Amino acid sequence: MTKRSPSTEYTRDLELLLTEVSELLAATEENLVALEKAPNDASIIQEVFRVMHTVKGGAATLGLKEAVEVSHSMENLLDEVRSGTRSLTTPLMDALFSVVDYLKEWRSALSERKDPPSPDAVLETIHGLQDGGGAPETAGTASETSLPGPLLQRIDSALREGRSVHRMVVSFQADVPLLSVRCFQILTLVEEAVEVLGSVPSVEELENDQVKDVLEIYLVSDDDGEDIKTVARANQDVRDVVISKYQSRGQKSAEAARGKDPGETAAVKRSDLGKTVRVDVGLLDFLMNMVGELVIDRTRLSQIASQLMRESEMSGIGNEVSGLASHLQRTSTELQEGIMQARLLPLKSIFSKFPRMMRDLSQRCGKEVTFEVWGESTELDRTVLEAIDDPLIHILRNAVDHGIEMPEDRIAKGKDRKGHVKLSAWHEENQILVRVEDDGAGVDAEMVKRSAVKKGVITEEQAQKMSEKEAVAMIFLPGFSTVEVATEVSGRGVGMDVARTNLERVNGQIEVKTKVGAGTQITLRLPLTLAIMRALLVKCGQNVFAIPTSSVEEVFSMGGLTVRSIQGKPAMNVRGRVVPLISLEGALNNSMWALNGQKYALLTRTNDQTLALGVDDLIGEEEIVVKEMGRLLSRLKGIAGATILAQGDPAIILDVTRVI
Amino acid sequence: MASDEADSYEVESSASGERQIVAFSLGTETYGVDIASVREIIPIQRIVSVPRAPSFIEGIINLRGRVIPVLDLRKHFGFEQKKGDPNQRIVLVEAGSESIGVIVDAVSSVLRIPDDSVEAPASVIVGPEIEYINGIAKIDKDLVVLLDLTKIISDAEKKTLKETDLRSAVVQ
Repeated sequence: MTKRSPSTEYTRDLELLLTEVSELLAATEENLVALEKAPNDASIIQEVFRVMHTVKGGAATLGLKEAVEVSHSMENLLDEVRSGTRSLTTPLMDALFSVVDYLKEWRSALSERKDPPSPDAVLETIHGLQDGGGAPETAGTASETSLPGPLLQRIDSALREGRSVHRMVVSFQADVPLLSVRCFQILTLVEEAVEVLGSVPSVEELENDQVKDVLEIYLVSDDDGEDIKTVARANQDVRDVVISKYQSRGQKSAEAARGKDPGETAAVKRSDLGKTVRVDVGLLDFLMNMVGELVIDRTRLSQIASQLMRESEMSGIGNEVSGLASHLQRTSTELQEGIMQARLLPLKSIFSKFPRMMRDLSQRCGKEVTFEVWGESTELDRTVLEAIDDPLIHILRNAVDHGIEMPEDRIAKGKDRKGHVKLSAWHEENQILVRVEDDGAGVDAEMVKRSAVKKGVITEEQAQKMSEKEAVAMIFLPGFSTVEVATEVSGRGVGMDVARTNLERVNGQIEVKTKVGAGTQITLRLPLTLAIMRALLVKCGQNVFAIPTSSVEEVFSMGGLTVRSIQGKPAMNVRGRVVPLISLEGALNNSMWALNGQKYALLTRTNDQTLALGVDDLIGEEEIVVKEMGRLLSRLKGIAGATILAQGDPAIILDVTRVI
Repeated sequence: MASDEADSYEVESSASGERQIVAFSLGTETYGVDIASVREIIPIQRIVSVPRAPSFIEGIINLRGRVIPVLDLRKHFGFEQKKGDPNQRIVLVEAGSESIGVIVDAVSSVLRIPDDSVEAPASVIVGPEIEYINGIAKIDKDLVVLLDLTKIISDAEKKTLKETDLRSAVVQ
C-alpha cells in the first residue's frame, strides 16, 4: 500500500468506507430496534458493538476524527451495557439512535464532499448519560503485564457462556512502515471473520500510535482458528501468526456447559455477501439503452424483410432476413429481461428504515405500536422501489397518526393497549403485493363524505347516494385530507393522491379496505418488471413528448447557430457537417420545414441520414415506463407508445428515427 | 313487426324482457349504450392529443395509470365541436380487450327499456350511420338511439389502419 497518489487513493478508500458505513448503519438501526424489544439479547449488543468498532476503525485509518469520537463513545456505552454496569433505558436507546443519526449525517456530508457536522451535541448527550448514570468510565490504561480490565471481563464472560476463546499473536516483519495501520488492518480482517473480544495493544492505543512488536488478539472461535490464521498470514507484512486456546480459571467447568451455536443469533450479520457484485446504476442504464437500440434495429430489420419478401426475386433473401429478425427478437427480448432482472432489489432496501421510523413516530404521537415486517427479501425493480418509497412512508405515518388510537382509547374500546401495524410483501401471480395493515380506528366513510362536501368536492345529495366504498376512495383525490389540522407527523408532504399517481406511473395500483373500529388495510399491487427506458422530455407547442435517449446523438441550443438554406430548405452546420433542420412539431403535422423559433435541436439519425429536429424546449431526462395505447393507436408511424409524466399527464413516446 | 324485432334481441336481454342502458345526450338527440359494455363514467379530464391519429380520436388520457384513447362522438358523427361544457363526460367502454373513452355531451341516466319498445333502426333512420345502430327505443315520447359502440370502435380501428397506411405511403 505505497501511497503514490495519496489523493485519489484516499478518495477511493473514503468512498469504500462510506459505502460500508451506510450498510453498517442500516444494519445497526435494525439491530437497535430489535434490541429495544429484547434488551437482554447479548448477541445483538455484541453485533452493534462490533459494527461501531468497524466504523471507528475505518474512520481512524482515514483520520476522520468526528466519527471516531462518536463511535467510540457509543462503544463505551455499549460496553457498559454488556458488562452489566448500565441498563438499557429509553434515554440510553435514544442516545444510541442519535449516534446512528449523527453518523448518517456525517456519511452524507462526506459523500457530498462537505465538512462533516459537529459531533458536539451527540457527544454531550452521551456524556450527560455517563455523568448522570454514574457508570464509571473504565479507561483502557491497564498495566502492561496483564490484560486490561474490560478485556479480561469480556473474555471471562465469553468463557462463562461456554465459548472458546483463542489468543492470536501476530508478529510483523522488521521495519514495517506504519505499524499501527498494519495492526489495524489485521484486526479488521480478523473481526470480519470472527468475533473479537479485544486486543493488546487496544484499538485506542493503536489510534494513538502506541504499538508493540506483536499484536495480540483475543477472539472467539469454535474451531482451532486455522482459517483466521490464513487470513492474517496473507498480509505480506506479517511474519508469523500463532494461535492458541486461551485458558483461564473455571475454563474446564465452562467447557461442559458449551453447546450454544454463536452463529444462530438474532443479530443482523453482514457476512452473507453471496455470489453478487456491485454494479453502477449508470452501467445498467447504459445497457438498457443499448438494448433499446437493438430493439429499434430489430424493427427496421423486420420491415426490410417484409419489403424484400414482397419482391419476388428477393423473397429468398427476404425469408432469411425475416428468420434473422425473429431470432434477434428473441435474443433481444431475453437480453432485456436479463437486464431488468439485474435491476431488481430486495424491498429490504427501503423497508429497513421503517422500524426506526415507526418507533420515533409512535413515541412522538404518544401511542404504543408494535410494528411487524414480513417479506422484505421480495425483489422489485429499482424504479418501482423508488416510486413506492414515499407512498409507503405516507401510509405508515397515516397508520400511526390517524389509524392507531391513543392507549387509553384503545383500552376503552376493549382493544389491546398496543396498536399493531404490519408491513408485508409477497409475490402473487405476476405481481408483487405490498400491504400495510393496522388494527386502528379505520377510515370513517361518513367523515370522509362530510369533509368532501365541506371542500366542495361533492354535493350533499351526491354524498347521500355515495356508497361507503366510493366515499373511502375519495381519499385518493388531490388535496384531500380528512384531518382538519395538519399534524406534525402526517399532515404534510405527499398525500394519498400523490401516492396513487406515483404507483400509477409504474403500472401499480393501490387499494384500501377499511372497517370503522377494526382497522385499515392498504394494498399496493406492483408489476414484477417493467418496460423502462431513459428518455428526453421535450416540449413542442402544447405537448410534451418523450424521446428515447438512445435515438438522440446530441442536443444543442439553437442560439448562436445560424440556420442556412439549401435548395430553399433549412439546414445547419454542425461541426462541419451540413444537417437538414426540421421542426419536430411540423414533422408530426406533415409540414416539417415549418420552423418557428425553436430553442433546441436534437441530432438524430434516420435511414442513415443525420437530421436535426427543432423542439421548443427541453424539460429533462427521465426514466419512463412504457405503456400500451391499445390497438387503436398502435400503428401510428413514429409513435412508439405513451408514458405518464410525474404530474400525471400522459405523454407520447416518439420514435424519432421514424418520424419522417 | 315490433315483436319480431324484440325476439331477435332476446339473447342480450334480461329474463324480465328488458334491458338496461346508459343514456346520454349528443346534440339534441338521446343515445344509449348497453350497460354491460360501460365500465365507468368520468368527468372530462386533460386529454393529450396524439399526432397522426385519425381526426375523430381526441387524444389519450391517464386513467389510473392506464393510457386510454378517447374518441369524440361529435366528430365521429360529423356534428359541430363543443368544448368546455362542464356536463361533458367520458364514457369508458370495453370493446373486446380494449378500453376506449367516448366523449358525450351529458350522461342523463340509466334506463330500463322493455324489449318490446325497441324497433329496428331501418324503420326510422336511413344513411351510413345505420350500421352503428342496434335499434331505436321509444320511451314515452322520446326516442333513444341504441348505439353499437363496439362496432364504432372496430371501425375506427380499421379506419386508423387505412389512414396510417395511406399516410406512410405518401411520406415514403
